[in-house]
Amino acid sequence: MDEFEEILQDFLIEAFELIEQLDQDLVELETRPDDLDLLNRIFRVAHTIKGASSFLNFDVLTHLTHHMENLLNMARHGDLVIDANVMDVILESIDLMKALLVRIRDHGEDSGLDVSGCVARLDVVANGGEAPEPVEVPIPVVQAPVVVQNSEEEPDYSTMSDAQVEAEIERLLAQKQAEAAAKRSANAEPSKPAEVEPDYANMSDAEVEAEIERLLLEKQAEAAAKRIQKTESAAPQEPVVQSVPVVVPAPQPKTEVAPVAKATPAASTTPTTPRRSEPKEEGDSKGGGVEQTIRVDVKRLDHLMNLIGELVLGKNRLIKINDDVEERYEGEAFLEELNQVVSIVSLVTTDLQIAVMKTRMLPIGKVFNKFPRMIRDLSRELNKKIELEIAGEDTELDKSIVEEIGDPLVHIIRNSCDHGIEVGDVRIAAGKTDVGTIQLKAYHEGNHIVIQIIDDGKGLDADMLKQKSIEKGIITEKEADAMSEKEAFGLIFRPGFSTAAQVTSVSGRGVGMDVVKTNIEKLNGMIDIDSEVGKGTSMKLKIPLTLAIIQALLVGVQEEYYAIPLASVLETVRINKDDIYTVENRSVMRLRDEVLSLVHIGDIFEVARVFDTSEHAYVVVLGLAESKIGLIVDTLIGQEEIVIKSLGEYLKGIEGIAGATIRGDGGVTLIVDVAALMQMAKSVKSTIGSESGETKKIGVKNSASDYCVMIVDDSKTDRTIMRKALEPLGVTLVEATDGVEALNILKQGDHFFDAMLIDIEMPRMDGYTLASEIKKYNKYKNLPLIAVTSRAGKADRMRGVESGMVEYITKPYSPEYLMNVVKRNIKFNEGL
Amino acid sequence: MSEKLQQIINKQNKALVGDNQKVDEVIQLVGFIVGEEEFSIPILSIQEIIKPIGWTRVPQIPSYILGVFNLRGSVIPLIDLRARFGLPLQKHTDETRFIVMKNGDDVAGFVIDRLTEAIRMPKRDIGPAPDTISESETMIDGVGKQADRIVTILKVHKLLERNF
Repeated sequence: MDEFEEILQDFLIEAFELIEQLDQDLVELETRPDDLDLLNRIFRVAHTIKGASSFLNFDVLTHLTHHMENLLNMARHGDLVIDANVMDVILESIDLMKALLVRIRDHGEDSGLDVSGCVARLDVVANGGEAPEPVEVPIPVVQAPVVVQNSEEEPDYSTMSDAQVEAEIERLLAQKQAEAAAKRSANAEPSKPAEVEPDYANMSDAEVEAEIERLLLEKQAEAAAKRIQKTESAAPQEPVVQSVPVVVPAPQPKTEVAPVAKATPAASTTPTTPRRSEPKEEGDSKGGGVEQTIRVDVKRLDHLMNLIGELVLGKNRLIKINDDVEERYEGEAFLEELNQVVSIVSLVTTDLQIAVMKTRMLPIGKVFNKFPRMIRDLSRELNKKIELEIAGEDTELDKSIVEEIGDPLVHIIRNSCDHGIEVGDVRIAAGKTDVGTIQLKAYHEGNHIVIQIIDDGKGLDADMLKQKSIEKGIITEKEADAMSEKEAFGLIFRPGFSTAAQVTSVSGRGVGMDVVKTNIEKLNGMIDIDSEVGKGTSMKLKIPLTLAIIQALLVGVQEEYYAIPLASVLETVRINKDDIYTVENRSVMRLRDEVLSLVHIGDIFEVARVFDTSEHAYVVVLGLAESKIGLIVDTLIGQEEIVIKSLGEYLKGIEGIAGATIRGDGGVTLIVDVAALMQMAKSVKSTIGSESGETKKIGVKNSASDYCVMIVDDSKTDRTIMRKALEPLGVTLVEATDGVEALNILKQGDHFFDAMLIDIEMPRMDGYTLASEIKKYNKYKNLPLIAVTSRAGKADRMRGVESGMVEYITKPYSPEYLMNVVKRNIKFNEGL
Repeated sequence: MSEKLQQIINKQNKALVGDNQKVDEVIQLVGFIVGEEEFSIPILSIQEIIKPIGWTRVPQIPSYILGVFNLRGSVIPLIDLRARFGLPLQKHTDETRFIVMKNGDDVAGFVIDRLTEAIRMPKRDIGPAPDTISESETMIDGVGKQADRIVTILKVHKLLERNF
């Protein structure tokens, strides 16, 4: 049973892979009906699936594929010309085959779907007639992908009795046998036993065994043939059959299985397009070929990616520590070695990350493949002539993104077909050819992949879009007037918007484009629309290559840091406070020829304004999908590679936060959810420019001990000398051993200091740095800082003044002098 | 021979049963102080106890959640139990600890004032939570009585439950 399961799984994987290619081949076939190469490929799919399914006892599937094979075989031998009607039937049968395979995958059996209608139709077409097909008028109105309804549309079949159907099947079986024999002789494989479609029910066990044996052989031969094709992908797929359109034995002594054939392919056709990723088919060990690919469970890749994430965090941390060490032990010999190690580790980590990312990459062709078929169906359904041009289908991107991108693209392309491309008459009247073109392009641009959908249809009319939006109450008239053309195009992404005058089954329900925007935003992507009335529309989706590890811009606001996905950052600008204007309670600025609305990151994330913000601010211009906003931050820290971690179940769904990352210093930094931030920005009221009114705490001094002075010095002796000098005053004294400690004491706010005595040379943070740090706080602006140091040079004094020191005492000093300076600065006795 | 064997088996069984009863009757708790009161939680729901480390504020959440911190690569929420219980805030002291509690996949750190001790308490000494508190709302699992004090046992799953 397990073995059976295994075979079944292999079968399903193979079958789905084959089918993926099939749709595209079929649509191509319609335009080039005499391309034998294509026909052969399609025929082989049906054949392979038939062979395997009969072995696995999926009778319904076998039955269907058998008839498909039959029809295709005729086509391939030139007995049948493939036109649109035949193609409709073939496509229908393939849809049915897919449905059956899905059923087998989900339920393990293939019953429950009615294939008889389709089979009968296949036979009718195969027998040369389109006449009995009432549905198949020159321009079919309904191409029926819904397979269950088939029997209703097939009057010919419904008039048949069961017995007749049986007879028909019998007849076809016989025909099939003859054909199979003919084919075998054509392939110069006379040793192969006759291929019959056996009735398993009537077979003895031994017969079943023999049948299995036979099928296995057949499969092996096929596999070997495939191997050969694979190794010479540009060569004709089945050279023998190709060169012989009629069913006679080929004069060439080549066979499908003989490896010799590989050396001398009958190069009678132009090279076909190289087949896309079909790793499965390479290397069946029997032929002695080395396996070039292996299948890997996605979970393992995900796990690998997580581990790499941890490694990247470690690397960031190492770099940070290296920087610190460098600063501290400048000029020491071991530094160079450390530097080397760090840079090697960082390099290898980056390479490793890229390598693992690559293993998760899939060509976008996987998604694009389904569009030719979709366009074909749509063009028949909408009665428009539409051509699809695909470029860059080899462009690769992360598996998770490939999975997400399909739906949005379907919506956009449907939309282009339905609303963009005009009907033939209109196109001709507009001076265009009657065939509309939709181009689908994919290419890399830096760390992004760009997918472009261009149609040459009627284009978007900004005024019409505005008018429509006002009618539907999506925007007000005032908003409409203020809108640029680009912003107006963006209206199509608003929920509840639909431009089609009439709602069709294809699009126009007003949900599609809204979904597109949400999905693209989920991927941190951007949408850019360009359109010209009468000329067409171009939609550009810009999507990051991967999701787990991203480049981020780190920004600071007050004492907090936030990471903004770099994918959404368009640019950063340094501005003056004066550059900010207020329009209707909203802050805006002029950025070149655009007006950009602004929001302060502190207002969004409720950051308390403790520091005095300087005259300058930085604006990070964020772009997402089609909207833009300027985010004001205090500082720009830089660009860093970050690993996205979830905040966990307890804190999930916090508005504006997409997750967290761990920085090089071990701290946690939150990642901004740009999409949510843009939403929030709409409701945040601006506080830009309004200084936070710091309540002045003027402590009433009643006694000497109400005065508080901090002594910052790394030397115990120096601290004691100062303490001794000041003790007679009776003021409260607090000691700190270096700048960092002093700053922490200040921040705790246990004491309200009236003055600070600061040594200049200290470990961790020196006096100058401490002074400038302290002066960043609004409430310490007027705190007297007194330098006490042995550095007496003029330059030192100047630096002291620059960093905000008010007095400069050089060691040694007399206790009285120190006392007087402190007294003066804390205005001692004045209040008493 | 068989009689002797039987005796030994009986004896062993007895010993086993006795052990089981003992294990069943005693639960191990870790006691800690928040504000004026002593609380405790089952030792098995504690992942680890660490000294305070830096954390990052997270916007738009109730004030009793201080933010998130990094516990060896995992981002974990940090909840101040003083604030959670509506007590006035206090500065962290040398005795302040973060207790990292887990319940299934839910993990969070809790700030407590100080640890007291590991308590082994017989089950019979544990009474139900006071009736005045509704069963579904209360964070109290029970009240343990000891010779000189009472200890409130908290429901870990309730503490780890998101309630905003």
